[in-house]
Amino acid sequence: MSAVKDPNLNDKNWTVKVRNRAVGALPPDKLLPDGVPAYVSSWIYVFGVLTLAALVVIIGSGTILALKGPGWWHFTGIGHFFNSIHLWSVELFFFVMVVHLWGKYWMAAWRGGRAGTWITGAVTFLVAVPCALTGYVSQQNFDAQWISTQAKDAMNSIGIGSFFNLTNFGQMYSWHIYLLPMAVVGLVGAHVLLVRKHGVVPPFELPSARAADAAGDGGDVVHNEAPLPEAGASATTTEGAPS
Amino acid sequence: MAAIFNLNHPAHTVHWHFFTMSVSNLVVIILTLIVFALAIAIPFPRHKATGSSATESSS
Repeated sequence: MSAVKDPNLNDKNWTVKVRNRAVGALPPDKLLPDGVPAYVSSWIYVFGVLTLAALVVIIGSGTILALKGPGWWHFTGIGHFFNSIHLWSVELFFFVMVVHLWGKYWMAAWRGGRAGTWITGAVTFLVAVPCALTGYVSQQNFDAQWISTQAKDAMNSIGIGSFFNLTNFGQMYSWHIYLLPMAVVGLVGAHVLLVRKHGVVPPFELPSARAADAAGDGGDVVHNEAPLPEAGASATTTEGAPS
Repeated sequence: MAAIFNLNHPAHTVHWHFFTMSVSNLVVIILTLIVFALAIAIPFPRHKATGSSATESSS
């Protein structure tokens, strides 16, 4: 069976509008590229995808912990193992995310129309902090008791203690396994799509190369840093380099 | 199985005027700075281009 397309319907049909806008912003070869810009061949560019990898492990191990429950993660060997996997993947997530954040801050990654990419990344970091905090207070042990009773004073001091009660396990657990992870995953998804749309930010051009460009003479200057392309513009790629 | 580090004691802390921080947090921060510096300083391994896909733009 084939669909009958009415050309007069296209400009009124909202699904067509959304589809055209989505494909226009992110055509398939941009959404799933088979290469990355040459300047991405640097270890500092690896930490974004390391953060994503850590997030996948966090979600996977957290799903298993949620299915099995506190009795399993506290009192069985395999439960301890998955509990540790979940904890250490979170530690790694924050570690590599901070390195990613520093790298992007010092290369001013909001350049070239990439403000949205920067903002979604920064907000993800801010949302991930309470996501981790609610995890620490959901452990169901003395550690969780200590952290929740200490942290509740911070919440009370800013006037949100009655809405965000750290000593309420049910509330904290809901925030931890549903609301905040949804926000983190949604923001990360938007962040990655914006990276695909606008491209990976290039490093700053060296002053010597900039001076040579201004003089109109490339000469013997080695341009080892790329000029700033427009958002979404193409660049020479190196297959297999990190994104 | 014994832990690699004995954690059965209150955290060690560093004090400097108003600044107080656990040694473990300080170690993580210093380690993050070291990894950040190494990520910039260490050259990324490159492989020679093979075929046209290595030089073509994808986006």
